[in-house]
Amino acid sequence: MSSVSTLRIEGLSKRYRGRSGVQANDDISFDVAPGSVTGLLGHNGAGKTTLVNQVVGLVRPDRGSIHVDDVDAVTRPHLARRLVSIQAQANVPITGLTPRLAVELVGRIRGLNRPEAARRTRLLLDALDLGPWADTPAQKVSGGIARLTAFAMTAVAPGRLVVLDEPTNDVDPVRRRLLWTEIRALADNGSAVLLVTHNVREAERVVDHLVVLDDGRVIAAGTPAALTAPMRGDLTIEIQLSSAPAPEWPAVVKDAESAGAHVADQRRTATIRPEGAADVVRWAQEHVDAGRLERYSLTPASLEDVYVRLVGVDGPADAGAPAGATAVQAGAVA
Amino acid sequence: MTAVAQTLLLAQWQFRRQAQMLPLLVVVQVLMAVATVIGYGLLVGDPSPEVALYLATGAPTVTLITVGLVMTPQVVAQSKTEGSFDWMRTLPVPRPAFLCADLLVWSLLALPGMVLGVLAGALRFDLSLSPAPWVVGAALVVSVTAASVGYAMATLLPPAVAMLLTQMLIFAVMLFSPVSYPADRLPGWLAAIHEYLPIEPMAQLVRAGLAPEQFDVPGRALVVLGLWCVASVLGAVAALRRQG
Repeated sequence: MSSVSTLRIEGLSKRYRGRSGVQANDDISFDVAPGSVTGLLGHNGAGKTTLVNQVVGLVRPDRGSIHVDDVDAVTRPHLARRLVSIQAQANVPITGLTPRLAVELVGRIRGLNRPEAARRTRLLLDALDLGPWADTPAQKVSGGIARLTAFAMTAVAPGRLVVLDEPTNDVDPVRRRLLWTEIRALADNGSAVLLVTHNVREAERVVDHLVVLDDGRVIAAGTPAALTAPMRGDLTIEIQLSSAPAPEWPAVVKDAESAGAHVADQRRTATIRPEGAADVVRWAQEHVDAGRLERYSLTPASLEDVYVRLVGVDGPADAGAPAGATAVQAGAVA
Repeated sequence: MTAVAQTLLLAQWQFRRQAQMLPLLVVVQVLMAVATVIGYGLLVGDPSPEVALYLATGAPTVTLITVGLVMTPQVVAQSKTEGSFDWMRTLPVPRPAFLCADLLVWSLLALPGMVLGVLAGALRFDLSLSPAPWVVGAALVVSVTAASVGYAMATLLPPAVAMLLTQMLIFAVMLFSPVSYPADRLPGWLAAIHEYLPIEPMAQLVRAGLAPEQFDVPGRALVVLGLWCVASVLGAVAALRRQG
C-alpha cells in the first residue's frame, strides 16, 4: 500500500458505551501530509482527544481505519506507536525530575543514544529559552515551563507523526512565539504535525490545513484561506461591555446577516459587510460615550469568526444550514 | 533500543519520580515490618518459641504483600489520576516493560523493610535463623505475584475503587490469612478458601526459606503459587494492553 499522507483516517467512528452513550467520533476522515501542520479545531467534547487516543491504540474504534505511513494503527498499535509522538493535553507530571532529565530520558526511551539525546535536549531547551529552568526540580517550575517541557519531551525524538494537544496553554507570549517556531520546524524537518487546539487565533498563523470537529463529526476542512474565503471582505466588530445589559446591535449587523455573533464574558463580536463600517463605528462610539461599552475594535474577519460561524456559539450547529442560520443576536444572549 | 534497555530507562524514570518520597517510603516499610513483628507479639502476649518463629518468619511476607498489593495499586491509581498513566502508554515501549520496570522499583523498595523485619523478629524473640540462599528467589516470586495482582487491579478498576479495595486487602492479609500463625487456627471454610489463594503459599515459601530446618514447602503450595504468579503477570500485561 502506498500513501502520500503520513496519517490517513477513514470513516472513523467511536461510541462510548454506558448510560450517556456518547458518540465521540462519527465517520471522521482526513489526512495529514508529511511536512505539514494540520490544525484539529473543536469545542471541548468535540471528540479531539478520543481521536488522538485511537491513533496510538489506547482506544479502539468501532469502525473505520487509521494508517500511520503504511502501518494499520487499529490492528497493530504497537507499530504505530513507534511512528507517533504525542504531547498530551494534561501536563505529564515529572516531579522528582528536572526538565532536562525528563526530556533526555524520553529521548532515550524513544531510541536515541545518550549523546544524541543530550544534544537534542540541549537544542530544544535553548530554542524554547528554557535554559534557566533546565536543571530546576520540576516541582519548582511554573505551569508554562512544564508545558514547554512536555513539548520538548515530544519533540526530542519526533515521530513521523507528531500530535500536539493544546501545546501553548499557560505559555507566556514570548516563549509562545518560540514554540510556534519549533512546531513549524518539526514539519519542515519532515514530520506530519497534528495540532489539536481551540485557540483558533494562534493556530491560524501556523497551520497549513484545518479540520473542524463538532459533535464528533468533521464539519469543515481545508486551508485557512479556503475556509475564510466565504467571509472575505467581511469585518469583525468586537465590543467590550462595561455594564449589562448589552446594547442591541445596530441594524447594519442584522442587515449583513451576521453569523457568528460571539459571547465571551464581557466580549461580544459580530461580522458585518464593509459598507456598514461607518454606521457600526458611529453606533459603537455612541455607546462608548454613554459608558455602556469599554472599547470596540473593527478588524477583517478571521478564522475565529469562521470557526464560530461553523460550530455556533453555545453548542453543536448544523453544518449544512445556510450562513446566518447559526447567527445569534448578541444582545439576546447576554 | 532493546526492551531491556527501555525497561531500565522506565525504571529509572519511575525511581526518580519517587525519589523525593523514597526515604519516607522505605522508613514506612521498615516501621511496618518491625511493627508487624512487635505488634503481633503484643497481641499474643508472651509467645511460645513456636509462635514466635511463626511471627518472625511471617512478617517479611506481610511486608512483601503490602508493597505489592497495596502500594503498587496506589501508585498506579495516582498516576492514572494525575494523567501520566495514559501518556506513558503512548510511548513505543512493549507493555510488559512497564510492568517489569515497576516491579523492579517496588521490589527494591520492599527489600530494606523485609530484611529489617527479619532482623527485628530474630532480635525480639531471640531466634537464630539460618536462611537458605534461595529465599531471595522466593521473595522475588512473592513480590512479583503480589505486585502483578495489585497492578492488574489498579489498571482495570477506577482509581477510587482500587484504593478502597487495597485497604480491605491489607486487613484480610494481616488478620485473616495464615501468614503469622498456622492455618489450623482459621475456621474450616476460610482455611479451605486459602488453599486456593496465593497468600498461604507465599508465607510457606518465605518461611521455609528463612528457617529451612523447621519448615518445608508443600508441593501444593508451589503449584498454587506458580499458577497465581503466571496468571497475575499475564493478567497485568493484558490489563495494560486493554483498549478503551
